[in-house]
Amino acid sequence: MIDIILRDAITFANLLTLLSIGLSLTYMTTKIPNFAHGSFATLGIYIALTITELWKLNIYTSLLIAPFFGGLAALSLYKFILKPLMNKGASLVSLMIATLAFDLVLLSFLNIYADYLTKTFKIKSRVFNLRGYDLKIGEYPAIFPISLILSILLIIILHLLLTKTKFGISMRATIENPSLASVMGINTDLVYSTSWFIAGSLAGIAGCLLPIRFIGNPDTGTTMIASIFAASIVGGLLNIYGAILGGYLIGLTEVLGTNYLAMWFGSWIIPYRPIIPLIAMVITLLLAPKGLSSINWYKIIKKFGSEKNASC
Amino acid sequence: MLPVEIIFLIDLLASFSVYLIISLSLNLEFGYTGVPNFGKVLAVAGGAFVVGSIPGRLLFNLMQINGNLDFITNNALIITQITNNLKTNIPLSLSIFILSIIIAAIVGAILGFIASYPAIRLREDYLGITLLAMGEVLRVIGNNYRDLIGGSLGVQVPDPFAWIGGDLRFAITTLSMLFIAILIFIYVEFLIRSPLGRTLRAVRDNEIAASALGKHIPMIRMKVLMVGSALGAIGGALYAFYTSAVIAGTYNRVDWTFWPWTMVLLGGAANNIGVALGTLIFVGARKLIIFYKGFFAPYLPFDVVWLDMLLLGIVLILVLMFKPEGIIPEKPTYTIKVNHIKKIIENRKKV
Repeated sequence: MIDIILRDAITFANLLTLLSIGLSLTYMTTKIPNFAHGSFATLGIYIALTITELWKLNIYTSLLIAPFFGGLAALSLYKFILKPLMNKGASLVSLMIATLAFDLVLLSFLNIYADYLTKTFKIKSRVFNLRGYDLKIGEYPAIFPISLILSILLIIILHLLLTKTKFGISMRATIENPSLASVMGINTDLVYSTSWFIAGSLAGIAGCLLPIRFIGNPDTGTTMIASIFAASIVGGLLNIYGAILGGYLIGLTEVLGTNYLAMWFGSWIIPYRPIIPLIAMVITLLLAPKGLSSINWYKIIKKFGSEKNASC
Repeated sequence: MLPVEIIFLIDLLASFSVYLIISLSLNLEFGYTGVPNFGKVLAVAGGAFVVGSIPGRLLFNLMQINGNLDFITNNALIITQITNNLKTNIPLSLSIFILSIIIAAIVGAILGFIASYPAIRLREDYLGITLLAMGEVLRVIGNNYRDLIGGSLGVQVPDPFAWIGGDLRFAITTLSMLFIAILIFIYVEFLIRSPLGRTLRAVRDNEIAASALGKHIPMIRMKVLMVGSALGAIGGALYAFYTSAVIAGTYNRVDWTFWPWTMVLLGGAANNIGVALGTLIFVGARKLIIFYKGFFAPYLPFDVVWLDMLLLGIVLILVLMFKPEGIIPEKPTYTIKVNHIKKIIENRKKV
């Protein structure tokens, strides 16, 4: 069986990938970097907490509710705030601030809810984890296989949605050229709303799985936002498959990198973990600002191949 | 002991000065140049950390206090002794105060350079994301690297105004902070009326036109971020001196990035008087919430702090949606009068 650190790393990478796909999806469609994306995941975390601690249900039943709530939050951000602002011709910076402001509103509601849970029901609602509620497969916790299978399944469904269905084709058309798409009779607003809903749902799913293995807190999402952006930027921000690559790359480096560095240099290095995705992001921006998906790998391989031939 | 109202007023004025400096620097960056600095907290924390780490250590070595003591472990003891010594040495107190602020400004400028370098050439959304992510770094380091400012417990700061003594001390500190804030206000006003100020607006309004006229956009943005971060660091340094302690955890995104953003947007971006008004409104509202916290608390099943944050988010959204130009909108640039231009031309001819 795979050792515990690798399992943690893969679980984290699965969840981060779900988040970075959503972030890239909304960025591709509406061209707005959504800073509230992390808090959609926190919404999922508190749904999982409510379901287990308050309603005493199986933790995996939150997978049925969390995507709905996450999607609803994302949709309301788009419908009630971003779309009116875009119609007024607001600048990109104003739209970014609007997502930050929405993040603050969500964050304060989550904090209020956390306080309410603690004061009324005496539930530990800060810095908690729900490992105790996880199912067991054999001797091992079920979160690792479930998160892996679920994220691969969701990626495949998304891929099929984008390539095989009529709706997916109209979505890609809208991403390529919104005005031409709307001339062709595509309801671009519906496409945008759907992409925001999908992004929120994926974040909700990632959120409700997160506390089963990692620590949940009202600010988990806002602290993770740097990792999510790093994953999306490493992948290129404008490419879903890049986001998958970036999500796994950043997720694995963050957990494994911290662990290996801690093994070499001592455990004092562990709190500096948030710096790792930042370094990855900086390197990407300096060397290939459009991300891994923009690099012409064929050309590089060819160049190195020809150099080798020349040296021979 | 002063009456509660006076203490409230002094505290309000001190917070106003600190936030005025930070909002003005943000106004220079965002209002005039259009740089979305979502990492304002980086510069503020940088300035505060300088005050937390440098003057204390400097005076510790200068005054030759018991060398066996460790600066971090025996921090409270050392700082008390330093402050006691400073009480009788007014020139040293003032020079250490000014020196700390200058170092803070330099460190702020360097931080502004480092934070913006990776994304300065890219579109503004990449720049915003990078600055936001960079803003978190310093807090992580300050919280965990104990030698810098004592980790999560924080350090105390020597009091350069200890020689005043008594009730007057807070009033004088606040007044000197307000004085520095007014100086910075005047500096920013002069800056934006200079040719450089017009260049900044050109960069904001039409990047392509500005670069066609030979302006190096990334360089201008970087310079503005460095100046803005230096000013922000001065704000952070003053706040650290005012509270006479530096704790890394207090330098978070909400307090030192989003509050200034709301102040700038509410008051009116690219209008310094508007920004000052927005700062006053917000600092006042926030202080009132904290002042009447005890009044609200029994009726609410949660901490009042979150109400504060909710207010911030909602005001920000409402301003963006219904009054994006702010309370006092940007005014057209002052141009030189025709007669003045004629005089300049005549002078040229004489030469």
